This record gives sequence, structure tokens and C-alpha cells, in this order.
Amino acid sequence: MKQAGIYIEMENNRVKDTSLGMITLAARADVFLYALVLDGVDDSTRQNLAEYGINTIVDMPLADDPQIRRNPAVRAGAIADAARELKLDTIFGLSTAEGKDIIPRVAAMMDVPLVMDCLDVNLEKNIARTSQYSGKVMADIQLTGSVIIFGIRPNAVQPVPAPAQAQTITLTLDTTVPANLSLLSWDDGEDGGRISLAEADIIIAGGRGLKNKENFSLIFECAGKMNAAVGASRVAVDEGWVPYACQVGQTGEKVSPQVYIACGISGSIQHFAGMKTAKMIIAVNKDENAAIMAHCDYHVQGDLFEILPELIKQL
Amino acid sequence: MQIYVCVKHVPDSAANIHILGNTQIDEKVAFLLNPYDEHAVTEAAVLKKTVPDSDIIAVCMGKKDAEKTIRSAMAMGADRGLVVETDAVCDSMTTARALHAAIVQDGSPDIIFTGKESIDSEGMQTLFRIGALFDFPVVTNAVSLEIKSGKAVVTCELAGGRTRTFQLALPCVLGAGRGLNTPNYPTFPDVVKARKKPIQTISLDSLGIPPGPGSAKIVALEPLIQKRRPKKILGTPAEQAKEIIRILQQDAKVIS
Amino acid sequence: MNKKYDAIIIGAGVIGTPIAFELCKMGYKTLNVDKLPDAGEGSTAGSCAIVRAHYSTEDGVALAYEGFKYWLDWENYLGNVTDEKGMAKYMNTGSILLKSEGHDWRKVQKNYDAVGVKYIEWDLDTIKKHVPPIDLHKFWPVRRPEDPKFFDEPTEMLEGAIFCPEGGYVNDPALSAHNIMRAAEAKGGEFMFNAEVVDIRSENGKVTGITLKDGTQIDAGIVVNVGGPHSFKINQMAEGVWEGCNIKTKSLRHEVMYCPSPEDYDYLNDGYHMSDGDIGCYVRPEVGNLFLIGSEDPDCDPQEWVDPDEFYAGKGGHGRDNVLTDEQWKAQCYRLGKRIPTLQVPNQPKGVVDLYDCSDDWIPVYDKSDLDGFYMAIGTSGNQYKNAPVVGRMMAELIDACEKGLDHDKEPFQYEFKYTKRTLNVGFFSRKREINYDSSFSVNG
Repeated sequence: MKQAGIYIEMENNRVKDTSLGMITLAARADVFLYALVLDGVDDSTRQNLAEYGINTIVDMPLADDPQIRRNPAVRAGAIADAARELKLDTIFGLSTAEGKDIIPRVAAMMDVPLVMDCLDVNLEKNIARTSQYSGKVMADIQLTGSVIIFGIRPNAVQPVPAPAQAQTITLTLDTTVPANLSLLSWDDGEDGGRISLAEADIIIAGGRGLKNKENFSLIFECAGKMNAAVGASRVAVDEGWVPYACQVGQTGEKVSPQVYIACGISGSIQHFAGMKTAKMIIAVNKDENAAIMAHCDYHVQGDLFEILPELIKQL
Repeated sequence: MQIYVCVKHVPDSAANIHILGNTQIDEKVAFLLNPYDEHAVTEAAVLKKTVPDSDIIAVCMGKKDAEKTIRSAMAMGADRGLVVETDAVCDSMTTARALHAAIVQDGSPDIIFTGKESIDSEGMQTLFRIGALFDFPVVTNAVSLEIKSGKAVVTCELAGGRTRTFQLALPCVLGAGRGLNTPNYPTFPDVVKARKKPIQTISLDSLGIPPGPGSAKIVALEPLIQKRRPKKILGTPAEQAKEIIRILQQDAKVIS
Repeated sequence: MNKKYDAIIIGAGVIGTPIAFELCKMGYKTLNVDKLPDAGEGSTAGSCAIVRAHYSTEDGVALAYEGFKYWLDWENYLGNVTDEKGMAKYMNTGSILLKSEGHDWRKVQKNYDAVGVKYIEWDLDTIKKHVPPIDLHKFWPVRRPEDPKFFDEPTEMLEGAIFCPEGGYVNDPALSAHNIMRAAEAKGGEFMFNAEVVDIRSENGKVTGITLKDGTQIDAGIVVNVGGPHSFKINQMAEGVWEGCNIKTKSLRHEVMYCPSPEDYDYLNDGYHMSDGDIGCYVRPEVGNLFLIGSEDPDCDPQEWVDPDEFYAGKGGHGRDNVLTDEQWKAQCYRLGKRIPTLQVPNQPKGVVDLYDCSDDWIPVYDKSDLDGFYMAIGTSGNQYKNAPVVGRMMAELIDACEKGLDHDKEPFQYEFKYTKRTLNVGFFSRKREINYDSSFSVNG
């Protein structure tokens, strides 16, 4: 039986839904599931993880000092240590912004193969499905090695409850901060908790049709009401209406949310490269001939300066 | 300072990608310098301005044609180039070993720049593997860099405007993100100058790299074809907004 | 019962829409059919929409000069129609023709004099004063970057330029066709989109209508081929038409580049349209402070004649499909990079690839055909955008005259220019003509 460790990401002391989705994905195979938790295990965490099928919860509390706790090298070292200690043969983590800074470190430290941004994993054959060439190609990649690692795209798999009897063990870690890499400071964004593009269920994005920076506040307001992340096309970023971090597309973030709402975005091939794996695309556009109108699930033809205020009002 | 920049020769993101057989793409498309690597080369050139005796070496593994990407990097500021030539498709573990071996053979790096990922294989890991092989610290998606009393102070971006600022001992590996700088694209005189800069080619075989303890192999490629059947949402703006909300609640189940 | 119109116009680009507009004004009931979803979405959208007067032939110059007057009077020309997408704008930048071996500029100058086109001769200092970042060395002959001589140091200087204060470009070519469509609709014209023509029907040597891909038949005694890059395919559908043309058309793949202007040069607001035969390029400003770089088809560049259907479907492979190539990107940008040494050239190509509906001598065919009732406005060869409104009127008058019994082949129709009061022998554009060796055999026409 495979021994798989799932690196659990938490938010506000709760297990992220996207982490639960990883458990569901891993549990499709005949596998013994460890949850690797670095941020403390309380009762609700324990119940939550057991409900989705974890067999053993590995509590590996890091020091409270954020300079230790938030250091990606420390976190990666902890996961690698746990993998060796528990003799794991498979490791799962999320391809979130944090995950992209941690999972490849684990692979590099252990010198084992990794596929990031997996949309699916076949554990019988150790084959992961991921996108390549700016999202234009799906690749099946087979990993071989004593340990293999998969970085799963958030929301690739919806969590499904599969209750198990979970026991909790505690691993004590050597959490010295590496001398050559220390965390000096961090900035969690001015509003502290803006939803990240890669993980959001809903993304509302704006493009050329917004016309200027001031109008983009409609997108932010709407996002706030529906708990969505804000995205943008390259034009909006190049014009300086929104920061680079909002850009969706081949040179920006690649996202696969449940719903992608494109407002005033014509839908260039470069933009599609970043969002075409969204489960549902809703396009709000005045121009019924815009490319996006033919490649969406719903097209709302009309003036976004009338439709967005209505949405804000009704939400 | 010896500044190495690892660059990759990748298909233009705008190219039509056709799959040949089951595991390869038709390479008769435009190839160019990986866009994230443009930021890496630009930052190296910026750094050289403050440390004038620096030597910037662009390193690329790939087919013979990869020389073009080295020329692009040299036109943007690299002083010389190093091609690790191979016709083989290599995974990240092998690539990192090859780049590591080539750099070790060539000199002793003070900083190694890379892009945060390549736009073709989108693996996001080679920079970390290079760091591990050298035992150098690594950060990715760097958006600002300052060298202060022999250390690199680097701010990296996470999603949603969040950042982390790290201090790295030199030598180190830095993965450039889009926010690091505006790429300093070459003028025609820069291109003329780059033609005269030296490129050294080494074959992958000559580096004698032992096989790694694992591998990642492409077993199938298929074009991503999206089939959507667009439905119109009509009515007044108020009715359209109402219908969007209904879809979000009842069909997509993403809001309550 | 099939629907019936007086005239069916195949194509709703910038030439097809004004033909409909003018026919409607003359009382014809017209229908434009187009396989794309909206007006101007085909090769019109890919046009650089340059408005300039320099052509190799006097008639060419005259036609272009007449065209100006329409662009300057756009709203009036369109009967002050409103378009919900907004109106296209003519941007007057002035137009520089560098005197070089790449252009027969003396012939152009003679044609300007004959037609009365306003121009000033500029010496090198004057050019430099107007275009500060310019390097006025002579780089001739045009080469490709693959050729080591491309990088040779220039030694000689150019001799000057001919500057026309009237000249520029239209900011949104697709929108201009859309504007004309709305104007035609206001006069009763109808438009049908996503409708691909598969057959031209005729009986007893007279056209009777068209058949669409879905089997729909539409009848008309007049059918006009304005199919752009598809024109040769349309001609082949009509009995005896292709065979009856001495001048044939084919579709030629063409790349146009967008390269950012040097930061310290506000090209968008301070720049000119410039034809530079010395480096085989023409340029104009584009939104975003970009240089739009077109190619004047120098002999060293490959010509790719492609099947338009395959091209638009993204088939045919590198250099034949609808994606810019790195080779041509470098060729065009580095050529301009010699002229503008501070121009920074990104690695990733940015621009437009589209097709010219190119005739054997790069001069269009505006004519009737060997099939009664079938007309053509084809072979625009990348150089007729600016003439579109004039061509619309000229074609409408030609059609009307022929329908009223004129034998245009024997006694060519004489078109009176509305603004410049010249007479043009439309026989100049005949399908039966011999190849016109006065032509530049390039986009310059």
C-alpha cells in the first residue's frame, strides 16, 4: 500500500477547502493517507481531516515566531523530514502561491521528481496531468523514483467527504532557520486578506472595456460582494489600472476557478491561455462579436457600466 | 561578480502548437527567450551597472538552435554565452544537473538568475534544484533586489498583492518574476554588438552527468480543446444581473 | 420561394460596404453576405489603413487623392449616420516619402505634379528636425538579418524626402467598414453574416443568384465579388468568370509588426507616416505609442501564397499560418532599428498577420466579368483601403451603366471624380488588361 503525505494549507486556523480536495484526489487509489500539518492541530481540524479520509494526522507544530513559521525553507525542510521519518513514497501539496515556493523546495531537497500544477493524478501509474505550452496542451507526465511529488492545482478536484478513523501523531522537528535564507518582513496586502487568484472559486476580471483605472473600482466592489478574486487582462495591467499580480493570461496567472466572469475583455488567445480551464465562463461585453462571446458558457450582452452596478446592488 | 543567467529557448506563446506522434510537439514554430528570463537578464544587467567588473554569462540547455536565445540574452546585456547542447528532451532533474555542471566548469557564480518558470513545460522547479545542487539559497517570483553588505535583500510576490522580503547569503539563486523590472529590449546597435560576443558550446554528453535517482517523463500530449456552448443572457441590466446571481447560486453553487 | 434582391455583394469589408451604400443611394435593393460575424472583420481588420497619395501610376495617385476627400468628410459622406460602436477617425499625420533607390520617387513626384497633390521637398536637416531619432544613412539594398551583409556599416547618406502634409491613417479599419454598413442600412441595404457562399448560379450566360453553405438560395440579377483574399475562389464559382480574366488574383500572406517607440519619442502624437524604400518598410503611429511596421515587399523577402481557408484556420505551419514568425519580426524591426537606432525590439513578435488579395500586377481589378450581371472589385493587393469610398461609388456607377446597356469592355466607362474633378478611365482596372509594368509590384501599387 502506498504511503502518501498531504501537506495541508490552513487559513484562519481552518483547513483550506482546496487542501480537502487534494485528500479526495489521493484517496481514489489504495493509499494510506497522512496529513502533514505545520500550523497546529485543534479538534475541528482533526474532525475536518478525518471526515475527508485522512488516516493519520501528523502534527508538526512550527515555532510561533513568524520568521520561522513563514520561512518557506523551514516549511519545506519540515515536510522533507516528515517524508523520511514516515517513509512516505508520495507527497501532495497545492500549487498555490505559497505552494509554488514550498513544494519545489521539497523536491529539490530530496532530489526526487515533481509535477506542479496537476489537474489530475493517476496514482496506480504515477501519472500526473498538467498543462503545458501556455495552457494549449495537456501533458501526462509519469514519475519514477523512491519518492514522487505532485503539486495540485487548487480546485482541480472538489472535496468529497469519506470519513475515516484518524489518529494523530506528533513529530518534533528541528526547525532551525537556514543561515543563508532568512525572512525579514512580509506584507499581506493592504486589506489583509484579498483572495488569491489561483485559489478563488470566483474570479471577476476586467479588461479594455473598463476604460480607466477609476472604473476598475466597479470590479473590486463587485468582487468584494461575491467574495471573488480580481483578475485583469494584459491591457488593464499595461495601462496601469491594476497591479501585475492581477493579470490572468499567458504571462500572468493561470487559473481554473469554478466561475470566471470576464467584463469588457475581448478574449485574446493570450488571455484564454490563462483562464480557459475555468469550469464556467461568463462574459459581460457590449460587443457580441468579441472572441470571448463564442468561447464562454454565458454571454451577457450589454453595457458593463449598467450591469455591474446592478450586480453590486442585488448582491 | 560572476553573474550567471539560466535562460530557456521556448516556443512563442502565440504559436499554434501541433502534436507529433504522442509525446512531442512540432518544433517548426517561432522559438524565443522565455519571457520570465527576460526579467532575469535585465536584472543582471542592472546589477552590473552597480558592480562594474561583473561578467554576465547566459547559460542555456537545448538544441543547436538555442544559440538564438543566447544571442537574444547577449543583446539584452549578457557578456558571453554557454550552450549545453543536446537533442534529448530532459526533465528538470537532468536539466538542473547539466546547468550546475556547466556553471561549475565555467566559473564560480556570485548570483544565478533564472526566470520563475518556463512558459513551455511550466515546471517551476529547475531553479530550486540548481540551488540545492550548489547548496545556495533560492527564492522565486522576485520583484525587487538589492545587494546590501554582501547579502541579497529580495522581495518576492505571492498572489493578491502579498509579498515576502528575504535576506539571502551570496551566492544565491533568484527566480525573476514579472514585477522585477521592465525588460530592457535591445536596439539594433545592441544586436550588432551581441553578434561579436562569444558563445561556447558544450555537449551534454561531455559533462558526464550521472543519472538522477528519479525521473519525470512525458507519456502523452494532447491539445486542449474547449467545448463550450454559449447561452445568451438577455433582458434589462437588472434582469441580467439577477440571472447572473441565480447562475452563481444554483448552477455553479459558489455563492449562497 | 428564394429571397430576391437587385444586387448581392459578396463581402462586407471596407470595399464591399461602400459599394452597397452607393448602390442603395441609387435605388438598388442590396444584400451583402459575409462568412464572418460582422462587417470589416476579415482582411479589412488586418489593414494598416494608411491614407497616402504616392502610387506608381498617375491614375493611382489621382484615385488616392480623391479618396482623401472622403476620409476628411467622413460623417457627411456617411449621411451623418450613427453607429453604436462609434465612428472611425482619420488621423492626419502627414506623409514622408524618403527619396531612395527603393522607390521610383521621381515618377511619384511627376504624378503628384500632374494630379496637383500638395507636397514639399525636405532636405536631411529638415527631416531630422521633424523626426529627431532618425538616422539618415543609406542602407540600400534591403537585406534580411540572415544575410551577414545586413550588419555592414553604412557609409552614404540619403538625399532627402518628399513630404505631403495630407496623409495619415484611419484609427480603426474594421470600425470604418462597420460605419459604412450602418450608412448603407440607413439607405435600405441589408447584411447577412456567418453566411458562406458556395455557388454562384447562372442561366443562359446571366447570373441569377448565390447559394449559401446551408443550402439557402438567394436570387439577384447582379452579383458583385468583393471577397477579398477569397476573391479567386468566388470567381471560380461563377461560370466562365475566372477563365475570362487575364489578370488573376491570389492570396498573399503578409506580416505587420507593432514595436514600441523609443520612450523619449512621442511617436503617437509627434510622428509621421513614412514610406522608406531604403529599408523596405513603411511605418505609422499606433495606439500605445507603437510603431506599426509594414513591409514594402523587398525582393529578398519570401512570398507565401496560401489558401485563405487554411490560413484563417491556423493551418499550413510556420510561415504559412496566421501566426507571426520570428524571422520576419526580426527582419522588419531590425530594418527599422537601423533607421531609428534607439528603437528597442522585444523578443516576442507582436502584430498582425493577414492576407492580401493580390493581383498579378498589384493593381486592382474593378470590372464587369464575362458572365452578365457578375462584377468584381478584387485584387486590392494591400493598397486600396484608402480608396474604398471612391471605389464604392465608382463600382456602383459602373454597375449601373453596364446594367443600362454599356459595353464596358469595348467602350470603357469614364468615372468623374466627385471632389478632384478628374475623369478616370475605369478600363485601367480591366480584368482583360495586360500586366501593367508601370506598377511597383508591391504594396505601393
